[in-house]
Amino acid sequence: MKRAIPIMILTVAGLIPLWRFEPTPETTSTANESTQSPSTSTDGNTQVVAGSTVTTRYGDVQVEVTFSGTEITSVRMLQQPDSGPTSKAVPELIEETLTAQSADVASVSGATTTSEAYVDSLQAAIDGRDQ
Amino acid sequence: MGFPISVRADGDPGLSYTAADRAYAWLREVDARFSPFRPDSEVSRLDRRELAPHEVSADLAEVLELCERYRVASDGAFQVRLPGRGLDPCAVVKGWSVQRAADLLAAAGVPAFCVNAGGDVVASGAPWRVGVRHPEQADKLCVVLEVADGAVATSARYERGDHIIDGRTGRPATDLLSLTVVAPSLTEADATATAAFAMGTDGIEWAAAREGCEVFAVDTRHRVFRTPGLPAAA
Repeated sequence: MKRAIPIMILTVAGLIPLWRFEPTPETTSTANESTQSPSTSTDGNTQVVAGSTVTTRYGDVQVEVTFSGTEITSVRMLQQPDSGPTSKAVPELIEETLTAQSADVASVSGATTTSEAYVDSLQAAIDGRDQ
Repeated sequence: MGFPISVRADGDPGLSYTAADRAYAWLREVDARFSPFRPDSEVSRLDRRELAPHEVSADLAEVLELCERYRVASDGAFQVRLPGRGLDPCAVVKGWSVQRAADLLAAAGVPAFCVNAGGDVVASGAPWRVGVRHPEQADKLCVVLEVADGAVATSARYERGDHIIDGRTGRPATDLLSLTVVAPSLTEADATATAAFAMGTDGIEWAAAREGCEVFAVDTRHRVFRTPGLPAAA
């Protein structure tokens, strides 16, 4: 569970601008707040709306929502914290090159789902050797 | 379900044979009860609504609950009921039932064993060297793992072609050549490998973030991604 917590924090932080978003910018009452007001651009039926910038304890968060009519077609992050707990939420992966090797092993993991494939597999050779 | 299962055990051969017989009997029972390819199985009867949801056995209820848990966790990439197809909990049944077979061996007192069920491995009692099949060369390995107590499962496209469907799109998963998960149980390793493979490239990080899971993945550009904690043998 430890590793899931930062992801949830980012999700919650990302939702805040959506909750605060008002579909008709003329009626916004954010002028007196310290957040940046939403901006919109309209192209035919598609409307792209940038949400307010919200300061969270991990940094500023701002989303951009694309509407097609009244339907949200995409949400993307314009600003998101790039340090602290959110960067730890992405698991570390090591990239390396693929190698082909032969080695003495007890068992072979692979998608050997048919008996035809099993007959030709390394695992069949190991099972034969063990008997 | 139709996959070969082998058990390699240390210790008293008499004890091992008796325990292995019991494990095989359990797996035959699972095939009879849970195979969607047998019209008289519990799964087929539930699918035809001959069984009401409250009439399912405790085992099937557990399997369906696991299926639902992985469907939610994978955001729908993992599905037991794809559009136009019948109920097919195979992806969970295999790992779950082989893990329980391994638990039977341990409960019978077999000190160390390694079970291989169609390429899914449960190791117990000793550091076992488990190779991962090279995705393109059937007679070669791409990594060797050392697993004392745990499970290894691999999802790949090399055998039956595009057989893992991304439940989110209904199309075959084609981003990866193979993806291997090492986890404390085969229930977790197998379902996570299947779901992650269906998710494609995104599935590598998704699986890596799951508690207790280590990942080794090969994409179609032959790049290898692995978690730092993968128990690769020296």
